[in-house]
Amino acid sequence: MSRKSSKSMHPYVPELKELLRNGKFSRRDFLSTATRLGVSLSAAYAMAGGVLGLCASTVARAAAPKAGGILRCSMNVKEMTDPATYDWSEKGNLARHMTEPLVRINKDNLAEPYLAETWEASEDLKTWTFKLRKGVKWSNGDDFIADDVVFNFERWLDPATGSSNQGRFSSMTRQIDTGKKDKEGKPVMSTVAAEGAIEKIDDHTVRFHLNRADISLPEALGDYPALIVHRRFSDEGGDLSKNPVGTGPFTLTKYSVGEVAEYRRRTDHPWWGGDVYLDGIVYIDHGDDPGPTIAAFASGQIDCNYRTSVEQVPSLKTIPNLVTYETVTAQTGVARMKITEAPFDNKLVRKAIQACMDHTKLLELAYQNFGAPGEDHHVSPIHPEYFKLPPLTQDYALAKKLLADAGYANGLKVRIDCVANPTWEQTAVKVIAEMCRPAGIEVVINIMPGGTYWDRWMTTPFGFTSWTHRALGVQVLNLAYRSGVAWNETSYSNPEFDRLLDEAGAILDPRERSKVMKKLETILQDDTIIIQPFWRSEFLTATNKVRNMYCQVASESHFNKVWLG
Amino acid sequence: MIIFILRRLGIMALTMVVVSVMLFLLLEFTPGNVATKVLGPYSSEEQRTLWLEAHGYFEPLWVRYFSWLGNFVTGDFGESVRFKVPVAEVLWPRLWNTVVLGFWVFVVMIPLSLLLGVLAGMREGSALDRSISVTSIITTSIPEFASAVFLAAIFVFWLGLLPGTSTMTGGFDWWQLVLPVMVLVIYDFGYVARMTRASMAEVMTTPYIRTAILKGLPYRRVIMRHALRNALIAPFTVIMLQINWLLSGVIVVEFFFAYKGFGALLLEASLNQDIYLIEACAMVAVFVAAATQTFADIGYTYLNPRIRFS
Amino acid sequence: MTDLVDALDTRGTVSSALRAVGSFKLLRESWVGMIGTGIIGFWVVIALLAPLIAPFDPNTPLQPFAKPLTEYATGDGTFWLGTDHLGRDILSRVIWGSRTVLFYAPLATASAYFVGILMGLAAGYYRGRIDEFLSFLANVILSFPVLVLYILVITTIGSSGINIIIAITFASAPGIMRIVRGLVLDLRNRDYVAAAQTRGESSWFIMLVEILPNARGPLIVDSCLRLGYVVITIGVLGFLGLGLPPPAPDWGGMINEARSIALAFPHMTVIPCIAISTLVLGFNLLADGLREISLRD
Repeated sequence: MSRKSSKSMHPYVPELKELLRNGKFSRRDFLSTATRLGVSLSAAYAMAGGVLGLCASTVARAAAPKAGGILRCSMNVKEMTDPATYDWSEKGNLARHMTEPLVRINKDNLAEPYLAETWEASEDLKTWTFKLRKGVKWSNGDDFIADDVVFNFERWLDPATGSSNQGRFSSMTRQIDTGKKDKEGKPVMSTVAAEGAIEKIDDHTVRFHLNRADISLPEALGDYPALIVHRRFSDEGGDLSKNPVGTGPFTLTKYSVGEVAEYRRRTDHPWWGGDVYLDGIVYIDHGDDPGPTIAAFASGQIDCNYRTSVEQVPSLKTIPNLVTYETVTAQTGVARMKITEAPFDNKLVRKAIQACMDHTKLLELAYQNFGAPGEDHHVSPIHPEYFKLPPLTQDYALAKKLLADAGYANGLKVRIDCVANPTWEQTAVKVIAEMCRPAGIEVVINIMPGGTYWDRWMTTPFGFTSWTHRALGVQVLNLAYRSGVAWNETSYSNPEFDRLLDEAGAILDPRERSKVMKKLETILQDDTIIIQPFWRSEFLTATNKVRNMYCQVASESHFNKVWLG
Repeated sequence: MIIFILRRLGIMALTMVVVSVMLFLLLEFTPGNVATKVLGPYSSEEQRTLWLEAHGYFEPLWVRYFSWLGNFVTGDFGESVRFKVPVAEVLWPRLWNTVVLGFWVFVVMIPLSLLLGVLAGMREGSALDRSISVTSIITTSIPEFASAVFLAAIFVFWLGLLPGTSTMTGGFDWWQLVLPVMVLVIYDFGYVARMTRASMAEVMTTPYIRTAILKGLPYRRVIMRHALRNALIAPFTVIMLQINWLLSGVIVVEFFFAYKGFGALLLEASLNQDIYLIEACAMVAVFVAAATQTFADIGYTYLNPRIRFS
Repeated sequence: MTDLVDALDTRGTVSSALRAVGSFKLLRESWVGMIGTGIIGFWVVIALLAPLIAPFDPNTPLQPFAKPLTEYATGDGTFWLGTDHLGRDILSRVIWGSRTVLFYAPLATASAYFVGILMGLAAGYYRGRIDEFLSFLANVILSFPVLVLYILVITTIGSSGINIIIAITFASAPGIMRIVRGLVLDLRNRDYVAAAQTRGESSWFIMLVEILPNARGPLIVDSCLRLGYVVITIGVLGFLGLGLPPPAPDWGGMINEARSIALAFPHMTVIPCIAISTLVLGFNLLADGLREISLRD
């Protein structure tokens, strides 16, 4: 099956190569599909290189790297106490240079072996075996072993930890009755680890027993809360900033929340991943506002930033010696409508708003055309199982008719909540509002500071929510649109949709899965619970001194192979 | 005099108590909101109830207020929601940074504004007086954010002479202090200069200065020996009260230049609803403002014999 | 004691200020005041004529990142001052923005004066307990650094036009109250007040009809200064992202939106900065002119 590091090649692989050769598949699609079919990542890169006439090693490296130097990066220095509870990619980046994941999502949106060397799944996709890398040393001198992984999993699944990983690995949990009753007398349930879900086979092998098929387990292990901490993390204080023990190539030397975080390369033991060129990394906090970062670039106070917002791209182009890296991601924002609240409980209203949208124009006006137009179903063209539906078109006559049918012939006034930062969200909402106006729908924009906004993102009738990158389409749909799940912000509930989602989640072959995705996408698009303006590209900026830099799809700082020229 | 000082201090203490009540009501009146702010938007109803119970939020409002106030005066400000460290750990270093910034603003502003004010006030209505007055009106008309935009455009982007941000992450750096100090001085010096001018002009019209000049004493000596001493009493108070204004100004300037000071901390805490940090910052800000005001009153009374003995 | 600065600000005695201020004939004597009036007049005219003189709709996205003097691609006009990141014409936004600020600033100032005058009259006229209470309240509010107060209030009640007016009233009324109180304490012993009291007029009649008009001089000077400061306040709030909700063209908000890209497109921030600064300058010059005249007599 696809996730095995199998020796035998999948019969579809030659056909894939053919598709790549005649240009029907991009390199990225090829890599994605081939790895899903069981080809190892390095083999897939080699195949792609062979087909396209590039040598794999030249893809990775152009000039001989130079060792030395400190990379200065602009990023919010947030708290970094416990990776299991992280909720921002900045926090993940602060920990990433010390603690590492089992699986890393690389620049091509592919799951790449990290602390786990290989993994394989049973036929029914319910038993997954991970082989751990040998020779990895913690910075306190201990060896990295299976006990570390078991400790992390048990901790993630413990409700007392409060980790979002509990939802990410929900196939390893079960519900128990706490014995307490809530106000209405219903029993209070609690989610705990399922018995026997985590099994240590030997010092370098762990096996997970899932209670349902889950194809996204490796990708879930690549999310930032799944960074692996030492097995005595809790006993030794449970605060990474105070006790920075990790397997990564760097160690924390200075940390001042909201101001600065400094790292130096570890000298006690060579890093398992080979050469590391930087002597150190410094994250500098320039506040919530993007303005000072530009000023810092202009006066040479930083070498790179963690993320460049789209409005800054044209501006940064005018500073000499800066390079802006772009990557198309499955990051997006949705103007989502809560279908239990008037007037959005009326499907005609929702469809009327949809009919006002010109998604191509939205991308152009609100995101300078960096990315891909949205299709109101939250499955991205870069997701392996994506199915292309017929494009949506702007139709004001239809919008007016739908509005009249819904009983708003004289126009409709709605209010949308939007967070102030990052500003592209406001911009997208402003353009959506302008597009609604000709149909007689007045969209009043309520911009709120982060704190206020996050109090009500789940409950507001109409709000704009940003969604981060996820490697598979089914992951997003499971998180946001399955009935009753924690982040179901639209209150969408459709048994047929849930059933199809279960079905899609049990199909490994992305081409097969996309047939079910077609149905799922169609249902979502037709029910119109979200207006999704675009899939956005992410950017980061670095000076031309910084080599081997790229923009990772989830804004992860991958600096282990970066060097300064 | 001692009674007067005690009275002033008493008023100040009372002010602080009223401010603390206002802040407490503003931010902690609804416990449910507090729990959401502390535990974050993803928290469940169950977690929030447990948290509220554990932190005594089911007690009556006044009990909560006094326990909060008790913790507060003993230096326990609670834990920052966003930084997950005790508030004091972030607050004091940031306040120190702002003190450093404010100190240099004053070091530049006071001599500059006093000099200009005295020069203008010596000869009321002269060309020098007029030009100083108009200049100070113009500079006080340019808000901090606008002069920050202008100065950054010139010195950072166009000439490339000065660093554009002042995070001081690599240790203290004089160059990084230049723009923030410049912006604050430009906005503030005009006001102090005008006050000095008014005070100086008033002194110059008093009979004893006129007499001294008519007696034929050297003009320089009249100014240095007699006029200045009396003319600088009022500016002293004005300068003390400038600290209150400066606390507003630093918010904008620190935000603009990413200076890691108290003002930016307060602003970001407010925008992120980091409530214990907001409470601590606001209390500290009011305390500083009220203390300088009290100090200004006492100092003015002490310096001004007319008031002291009347 | 803390009235010291107010006392210096309104150093001209009440009576001399009275004679001078409010008469435009006298304004001609001060070229500073004339210039101030001219600048304010300029912006008022711009605001009134906004629909006629603005070349484009201020909120319609047209052509992003156009530099000043760029021709609109459709040939329908020129972006004299360029466009912003959404492609909205900056000149049109500055013109319409003058409406926003000249609507909210006087309204907020008037609201602050209404509250401040009532408080000040009551405190100065009744004295005693009422005065002590109101003065203490004013002292408490004035002990907040003013921007701290704005940030606290706006982040709690949310940012909207009406909330900005409320916040400005809340923060400015105590200062106005103290000035009015000082003037009333001076005026309440005048003969005409005593006469009215003997006539048996009601307290509020005396305060509003007899005392207030005679206190108008210093108040007019103060209101000019305060208007300038309110313009700055609205700008600062917009700049900090706490200002009027979009898409209303608001100068401070324009600076805030464009600040991160100010490097390549300085016109996006510098132009609204100039607009705010000149308007504030206008109010400050006018105030200075008025004060100068009031001192001269």
